[in-house]
Amino acid sequence: MAVTMPIDPIQSEPNRAAILHSEQIHTRTTSSVGMIIFLGSWAVMFASLFFGYGMHRTASVSWPPPGFEPLPLLVPGINTLLIILSSVFLHVAGQQFRQGNGRLSNRWLSGTILLGAVFLALQLSVWTALWQSGMTLRSGGFASYFYLLTVFHALHVIVGLGLLGWVGLMQRRVSAEIKQPVRLGLATMFWHFVGVAWVLTYTFVYVL
Amino acid sequence: MNSRILRWTSFVTVLLCGLFVGVGLAFAEVQPESGFGLPRDVSLEGWRIDWLLQVTTLFVGLLFFIMCVWMVYACVVHNEDHEAVYDHGDAKHAVVVALTLSCVIFFVVDGNLFYNSVVDVEEAFWNFERAESHPEAIRIEVNSRQWAWEGRYAGADGEFGTPYAQSPDDVVVLNHFRVPVGVPVILELASVDVIHSFYLPNFRAKIDVMPGMINKLWFQATETGDFDIGCAQHCGTHHYKMKGMLSVLPRDEYDAWHRMASQRAERTHDPIDKHAQWGWAWRKDR
Amino acid sequence: MDLQPIHPEPTSFVKKYLFSTDHKVIAKQFLWTGMIFLFIGGVLAMWIRWQWGFPNQPVPAILGGALLSDSDGIIGPATYASVFTQHGLIMIFFAITPALIGCFGNFCIPLMIGARDMAFPKLNMLSYWTFLLSCILVLASFFPDMGGAAAGWTTYPPLSTNVGTPGWGQTLMVMAIFVTGSATIMGSINYVTTVIRLRAPGMTYMRMPGTVWGLWLTAILNVLFVPVLAGGAVLLLLDRLFGTEFFMAGASGNGDPILFQHLFWIFGHPEVYILILPAWGIMTDLMSFFSRKPAYWFKGSVYAMIGVTILSAVVYGHHMFLTGMSPLLGHTFMLLTLIISVPAEMLFLNWLHTMWHGSIRLTVPMLFALGSVFVFGLGGLTGIYLGTISTDIYLHDTMFVVGHFHFTMAAATFLGTFAAIYHWYPKMFGRKMNVTAGKVHFWGSVVFITLVFGGQMLVGYAGQQRRLWDPYQYTFLEHLADLNLWTSYAAFALGIFQVPFVVNFIGSMIRGPKAEANPWELGTLEWTLPSPPPNYNFAEMPKVYRGPHEYNNPEVKRVLGKDWIGQSELMPGEQEPVESSQQEAGSDREAE
Repeated sequence: MAVTMPIDPIQSEPNRAAILHSEQIHTRTTSSVGMIIFLGSWAVMFASLFFGYGMHRTASVSWPPPGFEPLPLLVPGINTLLIILSSVFLHVAGQQFRQGNGRLSNRWLSGTILLGAVFLALQLSVWTALWQSGMTLRSGGFASYFYLLTVFHALHVIVGLGLLGWVGLMQRRVSAEIKQPVRLGLATMFWHFVGVAWVLTYTFVYVL
Repeated sequence: MNSRILRWTSFVTVLLCGLFVGVGLAFAEVQPESGFGLPRDVSLEGWRIDWLLQVTTLFVGLLFFIMCVWMVYACVVHNEDHEAVYDHGDAKHAVVVALTLSCVIFFVVDGNLFYNSVVDVEEAFWNFERAESHPEAIRIEVNSRQWAWEGRYAGADGEFGTPYAQSPDDVVVLNHFRVPVGVPVILELASVDVIHSFYLPNFRAKIDVMPGMINKLWFQATETGDFDIGCAQHCGTHHYKMKGMLSVLPRDEYDAWHRMASQRAERTHDPIDKHAQWGWAWRKDR
Repeated sequence: MDLQPIHPEPTSFVKKYLFSTDHKVIAKQFLWTGMIFLFIGGVLAMWIRWQWGFPNQPVPAILGGALLSDSDGIIGPATYASVFTQHGLIMIFFAITPALIGCFGNFCIPLMIGARDMAFPKLNMLSYWTFLLSCILVLASFFPDMGGAAAGWTTYPPLSTNVGTPGWGQTLMVMAIFVTGSATIMGSINYVTTVIRLRAPGMTYMRMPGTVWGLWLTAILNVLFVPVLAGGAVLLLLDRLFGTEFFMAGASGNGDPILFQHLFWIFGHPEVYILILPAWGIMTDLMSFFSRKPAYWFKGSVYAMIGVTILSAVVYGHHMFLTGMSPLLGHTFMLLTLIISVPAEMLFLNWLHTMWHGSIRLTVPMLFALGSVFVFGLGGLTGIYLGTISTDIYLHDTMFVVGHFHFTMAAATFLGTFAAIYHWYPKMFGRKMNVTAGKVHFWGSVVFITLVFGGQMLVGYAGQQRRLWDPYQYTFLEHLADLNLWTSYAAFALGIFQVPFVVNFIGSMIRGPKAEANPWELGTLEWTLPSPPPNYNFAEMPKVYRGPHEYNNPEVKRVLGKDWIGQSELMPGEQEPVESSQQEAGSDREAE
């Protein structure tokens, strides 16, 4: 497609829709590529922290090491379900948005955010309980890795919630035409990434 | 600036640099503590490293020389007045030549180095079974700290007693290690604080010492004398001073020293000396 | 319809020069910052050489001794440990990375692929200001009472924990590394996305100049491996600040110092390729441009760079040969390390063939490119000694290693950076640099680089360890004092020969002759624009018909009477090829 262009691109009304649609697809693809690379970087960073965890674990005589109780499974297990559910809600929000039901989409989005907030609250409760029972940052390698992986993940949940909140706010603006699907798509990718990271953390840190 | 003068100046300069490097390499022949050659080698197996260093230098020097001559010739002869040949170099035969040349260099040079290094490591440097199986091997446990080397020899009973309280005859030395000539000396090394690296330049031996791990090193001296022990891993402010001395003694002198030191250790043994409470059962099968 | 609309030019000083989203302005910001830190890193190097040439003598005020007034100008052992630590970290992260990757990545990529700016201009601006924050942290790390970072650039724990190196200096430095890593990742996301998404019609991957390839592959490595360093840095910071036990070992805990080495070198080895790939790409281009013939087997060079990129992570164990690893693992890393030398060797052969039967114009950029090839040859070949376990047992942690990496990482990348600066200066600043000063800078640099780093290799061969405040404590090193002294003199001379460059760089900006659009007679897209280009780069998006190395094409010479043709230039009578209009750089096909 030839792209010689005069300085002012929008020459006439009938062209406007085609132009905006094209621009939207171009921007969305470009932003998606950027987001995928960004998430790839974070995935590598998580992987390196898990690598450390793996090294520590293989070097340990027993697991949990002497002096540590096994980690609770119930509440974090509930959290796993919650976060999977939140990804489902977000997926539905996306579907509704694509079908043009902006308001409904925003409700599902709010549901996602709510579930994420509950996730954080439950995480906090688990940490508090463990901290009060004597497992602090200074307690040794087992504690160090536990807090590292779960807190690091929780920070990403907070960022994810912020992104989703911003997307929700932007929905009400008129200029949402071009940018909103991009924003929603990017925030969705980030949120699913956070969900997958949690499932891996739950599996390798709590369960196995 | 006249480009002709520039070209010849560059040719001469490169030639001079090449001569400098060549002369430097020539001086880097094994010369006992003179010129800037390798330190004197008094070990049984160090010749492997020296040989490989020299073979590598030969290959590397040849390739470097060819590269320099090529570049200077091209700059001087294929200059602005020369007509360039329009060649993308992606014709099939050109690619085959390039790949073949790369493979030849790889197999001849790198292949040689790889093979010899594997043999060296398996036969000598990391072949601890060979050292351990020698009936007269000397064993020393080394505790590295900022900034000194402590050593521990099994006493007259031949056993590393642990803990210290139960091994009054073990000989503990600080920075000065004595070993006999002509038998394998095996070291097991630990660190109490940071990473160090035990380095014997005259024996071409070196191993990192990591806290939380015990690493091994072995060597065999072919001559008597006093030699430097160095630290080769940055370990803090006084890393530069973490020097020890290795005295290689004739067998009977070593035995006499060891006997006397072991007796003295037993006499002066203090079970509540907590700074001496280091040591471990010898790990034969690592 | 244009997917890269032209934005109106900013008018305020702040938006034009400070908080600009224009990739060309950001490039210059990186360049200035990088050059300032190159100076700081250089002064630190001079201090190291001073200590070895004149042990325990006060540094003369002119070399910065005034900054050591606490100790009457003498560099003590603790200060010395800080000096070599900061020298390494600053040169790698705060000098080469911004000057080569930050500046030329930003400047060249959009221009050479035919784009108006990066894919994410605001993120680009954020990457510079994040980088500047890391610079502030690094400078702050010099001042705490207990001294600056002092655990070597490699920052191995336990020495780098607060048991080994207490105080805020080391902590601030690790924070600075973390922040600069974030800035690098931001920038690299931009570079990778821009090359994938914003290439002009007809600009296929194989028509991209080597410069873009080098910078793009560097960005891919950055995105993949800087996070590993970030992981290691986070663990170390947690140990230092919160008492966790990731690395506290020996008497202090059950942590694992080897973990840090794994994380560090899984990053660290790709890092050295990150630093050299842009230089390789630039050298591939400049050798062709100034030999006035095509880059020999360009496809092979591209594949070689890709090969190095892929292999870079699996060779890292050669930094850890002496940590007590199993022989099998050692042999494996050795094999892979020797294999990675093959693509580098192929690249070399291609450069040599490019020159051969060329019509070589010894311009200042070409001299620096040739110099870079020369020092990289020397440095690369010496890597073989270190990749072989047997010889590495002797050479590990000696000055031989230092000489090797200075030739490859410092000399080749800096000569490559200078080549890039002299080459693109007319386009960046609209003026031409003085040729004589450039040649003086070149000869002084190459000769003294060879002498300094060659001197390092010689003392290393004689067995001198790294990082010794006073090597002459050791009997077996006492005789090296003269060699070290002469190497130090060569280092001082190297420093002095950078002055013509500084004077030339700043002076030409003010008083240099104005540069025309295409002073070097080249075909890549940036030379079709005025010098300097307008903020929107291309008024009309270019269409690309050929590769960047079409020099001395007989058909072109016959028809157009010149020995070059532009990538977006059509020969008279040449039809616009149908494929070029459909070879969208991945952008608009979905819109159809």
